[in-house]
Amino acid sequence: MEVEMSSETPRAPNARPSGAPGWVAIPAPLARLFKKFPLLTYPPNELPARSPSARDVATLYVFISNEDALRGLPSFNPSCLKWQAFLKLSGIDFRVVSSNNHASPSGALPFLIPPSSANAPSVCTPIASNKLEDYAAQHGTSNVPAAPDFKQETYESFLSYQIRNAWLYALYLSRPNSALLSQLYITPVSASRVVRTTILYQLRHAAETEILKSMGVPAVNSDALYRGAKEAFGALSAVLGSGDWFFGDASPSLFDATVFSYTHLLLDDSLAWEDRALTDIVKRFPNLVQHRDRILQICWGSKT
Amino acid sequence: MALELHVWGPAFGLDSIDPECLGAIACFRHFVPREDWTLIASNDAAVSPDYHLPALNHGGTWTSGYANIVSYLTGCGRLSIDDDLTPLQKADSLAYATFLATRGAGLVATSLYVSPSAWVDVTRPAYSSLLRFPLTWTVPPAIRAAAIDKAAHLGVVHLAAEVDAEASSSSSSSQSLAETTSTGFLRLRERLGPSRALQPEHAAAIRLQHLAEDFCSVLDEALGAKRFFLRDGDEPSSFDFLAYGYLQLMRVRTPHPILKTALEKSYPRLVAFLGELRRSCGRATQEDDLVWQEPAAPRGVLGVIGRFAEGSLEAVPGVGDSWARWRRGGVGDSSSRGGDDESAKDPSQLIVAVGGAVVSSVAAALGAVALFRALPLLGASTHRFEPARDKTGLRQFGEIGSILEGLPVWEQANGFPPR
Repeated sequence: MEVEMSSETPRAPNARPSGAPGWVAIPAPLARLFKKFPLLTYPPNELPARSPSARDVATLYVFISNEDALRGLPSFNPSCLKWQAFLKLSGIDFRVVSSNNHASPSGALPFLIPPSSANAPSVCTPIASNKLEDYAAQHGTSNVPAAPDFKQETYESFLSYQIRNAWLYALYLSRPNSALLSQLYITPVSASRVVRTTILYQLRHAAETEILKSMGVPAVNSDALYRGAKEAFGALSAVLGSGDWFFGDASPSLFDATVFSYTHLLLDDSLAWEDRALTDIVKRFPNLVQHRDRILQICWGSKT
Repeated sequence: MALELHVWGPAFGLDSIDPECLGAIACFRHFVPREDWTLIASNDAAVSPDYHLPALNHGGTWTSGYANIVSYLTGCGRLSIDDDLTPLQKADSLAYATFLATRGAGLVATSLYVSPSAWVDVTRPAYSSLLRFPLTWTVPPAIRAAAIDKAAHLGVVHLAAEVDAEASSSSSSSQSLAETTSTGFLRLRERLGPSRALQPEHAAAIRLQHLAEDFCSVLDEALGAKRFFLRDGDEPSSFDFLAYGYLQLMRVRTPHPILKTALEKSYPRLVAFLGELRRSCGRATQEDDLVWQEPAAPRGVLGVIGRFAEGSLEAVPGVGDSWARWRRGGVGDSSSRGGDDESAKDPSQLIVAVGGAVVSSVAAALGAVALFRALPLLGASTHRFEPARDKTGLRQFGEIGSILEGLPVWEQANGFPPR
């Protein structure tokens, strides 16, 4: 050992094989010391408990409580529920995971992570909600009617205008519903009272700005909002008529899923609405209630 | 009791600068007898309690917004325009109107308000001719800000702004022939791929064109081969006038007339519809000129200054928002549901507004004082003459020396040399 070492040392600089032909040669004792590392290799850390366990199933990230997510129940956010119902209607196998805006690449929920297979791991780029329709068309099993006609396009503006604004008012600004709002969006975020107050204020302010912006009026008027929602639901009920699905389609489409996302949340008994104005409006149109029941039956069986 | 219709005044050769006002004027001309109503270009949304024009004053009862005015008049029995529509047609009418209020309003806002060149060349001068002097400083920017918010969901706001920035910069840069870099060398033209060669103005134009054609094709299909949108008979319905208002404003010639070209080139049926409605309007009233009335109580100088002050206060960053909200009622809740604890005018918002105003004015005053005291007399730079400091020990070696002088080791070394 000693002999070897003394014979090695003088020619170490030029006899260095391919390691690092730099100007500073590492002295052999140090090199041998370094070669002993790593002394111990730990086993790899386990993945965090919340990381996706089954990657062979698509995962939809939505606003939902953790317990409901495990049972695959409907989300409590209309735009998430819309896509959740639509994907179910298209026959796509997916599971839901509770998430929030900050987790989304686009800043908005929902988004979908497609299943990754071992041979093509690069497919897991998240799919934002505006691409979900294409995804469903490619991967879905049941054929969801596409190609919206002009009527559907005009009726869609009800959902993005009157009904959405009335929803924003009812959930965020109507004081009797404060308890529901904090149960859905505020309590899960933080236990600190200061943080909760701030978030409540921010949510209310954002909702108010959103309503004012889209209505183009300087003040939020709840009567006008509810009146608009009533007219809109009335028109939807008229156009649905006695048919099963909107616009005489043979099977439910994205439009049906969008209407369902609002009517279901308003009619759902597990949400404790105190200001029941919007719920009462929907209940006045029995065919909308039946429409919601039909979709609930298809997507979630008899669970309500 | 006479009906008073308060609207935004005429512009671009049309009866009003606002689509809903335009529709309301056309509807009144067609259906309400001439002697029953007066048209007032009040040009001030504050005349109505809802801060929204068109507004109808019927013996002290105010109604604002086109749909509300129509339903109010129908309720009074003055108008029977939509009475014979089937429920399905009523639903369609409401859906089309909502479509106009979302997509149509966004497109009109983009072409007339958001695009800086249209704003500078067309829309702002129109407002300047409508408004009295100091109000031209506060009202049009507020309207434009609201329009930009309204067009935000179309996603072309930043593109439209870029279009004009690009257009102006390219016109200025083409004058100087040889571009040079900051170091004085000639700048070589970059070789661009097809995607990078696409200027933002082209991208914006393509996107706007697409949106405009989308919008027009929906309306075109809704119109079909019928004479009017909802029925083929002689009489238009209330929606036809609203569509008239929006489509006429889309035909205004702007520096980038994307909407106008899309509408007039590809959708002759819509253009024919506009002519049809215009003709039937003229036939109903037998005359083509409107009688405008001065606002009933012309505001004096004080009134104008008051509105100006209000508008200025609303434009103060940080404060204006709360002030406007308090001034205009904030989140209104009907007394039947909300209870008394929640009054329409929440005093806390006033406190926030006033507190914000006080804080910001105090800050501005302090800043001004500080700036004033920092300014030398008449802008001359300050010279200060000082006697030379003592230059002993290490200090004579400049800054380094004085740093070293401060070190205790050196003190000791100098004071007590080692024996």
